[in-house]
Amino acid sequence: MIQINNLKKEFKQGKSNIQVLKNVDLEIQEGEFVAIMGPSGAGKSTLLQLLAGLDVPTEGEIIINNNYLHEMSERERTIFRRRNIGLVFQNYQLLPNLTVEENIAFPLHADGKSSKDKMYVITELLESVGLSDFENTKPNLLSGGQQQRVAIARALVNNPSVLLADEPTGNLDRNTAEDTLNLMTKFNHQYNQTIIMVTHDIFSAGFADRILLFKDGEVDQSISRKEENYAKYMANFMA
Amino acid sequence: MLNTWLISWRNITRNKKRFFLSLLGIIIGVSFITSMFIADKTTKDVFEYYEQMYVADADYWFLSDEYSFSEDDLLSKIDDSMFSESLLVLDKQAFIEISDKTLSQRSVRITGVDDQNSLLLKLPVISGDLDNEGLVIPHVLANLLNKKVGDTIRFSGLGESKISAIVEYNQLLASPSNWESAESASFRIIAPLSLLREWTGLDGEVSYVRVKAVNNGDKIYQELQQNLINSNIYVQPVVADDRQSNDIDGLYTFFYLIAGLSMLISGFIVFNMIYTSVMERKKEFAIMKSLGYLKSSISKLVLYEVILMSTIGTILGLPLGIFLGDLFMKTLLNVFEFDMVYTLNWKLPIIISAILGIGFPVISSLFPIYNAGKTSVLLTLKRNDETPDLKKQLLLRGISGLGLLVFIFIDHSISYIAILLSLFLLFPFLLIGISKIFKSLFKMFFGYAGVMAIQSLLNQLNRNSNTSAVLGIGIAIILMLSSVIESAPESYAEEIRNTFGGDIRITSEVPWSNSDITTLQKYDSILNVTPLTEATPITWNTIKGELRQFSIFAINKEKPILFTEFNEKYVEKVINSEPSIILGQRAYDEWGGKIGNDMYINTPLGKQKFKVIDVVDTSHYSGYVGFMNQETLNTEFGWKNSFDLLLTLNDESQEKQIANQLFEDFNLHLSKIRTVNNEINSKTAALSGTKNLILVMLVLIIGLASIGTANTLLMNTLERRAEIGTMRAIGFTRQQVNRMIISEGLLIGLSGFIGGAIATITLLYMMSKSTALENFISFQVPIFSLILALISSIVLSVIAAWISSILTSRINIMSSLKEG
Repeated sequence: MIQINNLKKEFKQGKSNIQVLKNVDLEIQEGEFVAIMGPSGAGKSTLLQLLAGLDVPTEGEIIINNNYLHEMSERERTIFRRRNIGLVFQNYQLLPNLTVEENIAFPLHADGKSSKDKMYVITELLESVGLSDFENTKPNLLSGGQQQRVAIARALVNNPSVLLADEPTGNLDRNTAEDTLNLMTKFNHQYNQTIIMVTHDIFSAGFADRILLFKDGEVDQSISRKEENYAKYMANFMA
Repeated sequence: MLNTWLISWRNITRNKKRFFLSLLGIIIGVSFITSMFIADKTTKDVFEYYEQMYVADADYWFLSDEYSFSEDDLLSKIDDSMFSESLLVLDKQAFIEISDKTLSQRSVRITGVDDQNSLLLKLPVISGDLDNEGLVIPHVLANLLNKKVGDTIRFSGLGESKISAIVEYNQLLASPSNWESAESASFRIIAPLSLLREWTGLDGEVSYVRVKAVNNGDKIYQELQQNLINSNIYVQPVVADDRQSNDIDGLYTFFYLIAGLSMLISGFIVFNMIYTSVMERKKEFAIMKSLGYLKSSISKLVLYEVILMSTIGTILGLPLGIFLGDLFMKTLLNVFEFDMVYTLNWKLPIIISAILGIGFPVISSLFPIYNAGKTSVLLTLKRNDETPDLKKQLLLRGISGLGLLVFIFIDHSISYIAILLSLFLLFPFLLIGISKIFKSLFKMFFGYAGVMAIQSLLNQLNRNSNTSAVLGIGIAIILMLSSVIESAPESYAEEIRNTFGGDIRITSEVPWSNSDITTLQKYDSILNVTPLTEATPITWNTIKGELRQFSIFAINKEKPILFTEFNEKYVEKVINSEPSIILGQRAYDEWGGKIGNDMYINTPLGKQKFKVIDVVDTSHYSGYVGFMNQETLNTEFGWKNSFDLLLTLNDESQEKQIANQLFEDFNLHLSKIRTVNNEINSKTAALSGTKNLILVMLVLIIGLASIGTANTLLMNTLERRAEIGTMRAIGFTRQQVNRMIISEGLLIGLSGFIGGAIATITLLYMMSKSTALENFISFQVPIFSLILALISSIVLSVIAAWISSILTSRINIMSSLKEG
């Protein structure tokens, strides 16, 4: 479970401070697929970065599966991230000089694990994302959708409990985006991984169990698929 | 209106660290080359100054092959109205009275002069006056004896006199500066001629007379020669030529090589910086072009950047160069124990260095300057950069590099450059090989960061291998020089032993008599006594007609053996040729002719031509000497006497006891004892100092190359900001990233060292086999220098990498992810 208590984040801009996140309180259940939406500057990506441990909050708590992220050193956060959190980015962020297989294996190696011991995981992931024939290919020879599938496979290689995705379909066309989201949903169901996805796209958000609408650094609305007015809400949004 | 210079300034300072490192490269390169130019010019000035001081205003001197001749005898043969000035000189060997020193250490040559203030004698006085009443002593002797003006010095068996002046270094009074050197060289003192004549009883006698002619020219010289025919006095023009006592100029070839190397490394650093900067700004150039900028305008913009940076670097490098030049001069004079004063000659050197400092980086950057101009708008804006075909490039490098290896088998100086070029071209393959060999070791020590480091290095193969190659070439050149210096003492010692002619050379003020020789032959420890005839000074003309002076040694059919391959060269050529001369290598080079040509030498009978029949290696006067058949020397120069004897000992270890015995037995006329070991020590002492200087330069060159490494790694890091940000985001800790960068630096340093060591060993092998060098260098791996090079390349490369890793650790993960 992810618990966020009274989370604040300020950035310095010149001599003044800008508050990007204001007293965010949030609870996300294990295995839940949450989409975060909102206008630019609402604090969506900042929240994701704080959850990934890439940055530290100005105030407040982030507790992931009983681990107090806000209390960890930078090194502890990095190690926690590579073992417990998978990251997927809008522009894929594959390492250009590594092959598909090497890219997927990177978090394993970074953690001192041998890819030989975990070869079955990599093979399984390559099969799951439909790239078995591309293991020795360099990323620049893949399409955008293929690259994003490699990024997802890489995010999952350590079997993390949480998958954080920042606009994962932002650079993809509708069909490829759908394939990618189906893949994420599949893993969400298969491994009971918690997914938090930042998106601008209501179509993508429609794959989530719950949508959090951010406005001015706060959670403005939270709407669950289970709620009665979910369909109405989505229809309004689409309109 | 846009100010192009201002824009260029903004561009080069956009990345401050890279700008600083590139600037540092130029500053060091410029300061190195400036210091070498300054030291070279200043040394030449210094020697010229002391030569001129020695020559003073004299035109001719009258000498004899006897110890002395009568002043009246000379006056009866020449018309003294031909001269406006004259200086009468009498030399006498003596011993200073000091209780705790050996006879060798107390040995002094007193030069009596009739006028200490003569225009023909320039004495740089430090304290006291040239009053023609007392002694004039060099300050090194005053320091050793702890004497000042007004104190007295007593000479054994002669008398005592007060010191009236203490003077700075000059050739006439060149004296040892410590008691150890005094074992093998005499002190020199000037005394009033009248006093010396009174002490020695040599009334009216002189050793030589210097004169200034009223009208100078060949006619007067010939007239003087005519007047002195059939006498034991002869006349020679006074020539400023001290090459017999100074062979420092050859050393500058070494230092210029090092300075040139540093300039090359600087050029490479600038090339790297400008090339990367151009590649980074391709999009910017494409936009400029799309807005109407011409190809030439863009190239001009980059050219301005290089000029701006090299100008700043040169302005900062020049003062540092002047400082280093001064430091270098001090060190060099100290190494060679020259007690000279100098004024830095910096004006012309800084003009040349400024031209080189600005020009060389521009030349080095011509390719990126051109490349910037030919940026394609469409391809660049589509982000479809024209990436060069790496495989094709590698193939080309490989074929050219392997092709150049043929030069290993060609015995020519150009081959050494070819081998270094081959190393440069083949370096990518070396880097690949070394990466493979060391992969598991790097993995063991640095974990996955080590593996990633190797991968990153190979991704920028050309740039990284060029950086490493520059380091390797630097190491190879310096190690080669260091090996030459290391081999030199052994080679010199061997040459001195083979060509000294015996174990001890003893010099007398009067010609050695047969009874002296018989006495010496009775010494148990002396195996053989050989007379040595040295005619000096003998003046001659170079091919260009310039006057020079040296000594000519007389040689007989069997002895003395004064040069290598003596029997073969003497017997075959000298006996049957008339009149002829064999030249030492340096004299031959200075003369400028070819074997078989005639050399014009001034003899008592006028200017005579002698056929140069061979050039030989000899330790005497470092090869600035001639050899002539004894009979020719007698007939052409009238030089019949031997003032020197060469003694061969039964047991070389007894040379010290024999030296003391000789001083006891022949103290009335024995003036100098020089053993073969003295000769070896004085020749090789300076070499060990030079070697230390070269080793310091080795570390400095590696340091300069490491600035190149830091620059390359910095560029590699900057280009990979997004990649490194991703690595950090998906699991690499800051320490792992740092380890990766340091591993990259380590691998560059290690490859540079290995490449340098391979090149050094190849070059040394070639040198040892070279007939041109005639076995001067034996093939010997310079272990100590290699270890020093290994340590410095690794340490300095790691430091260079550490500088880059600081920047890497400051990379903001979020912003770098946005870049990607």
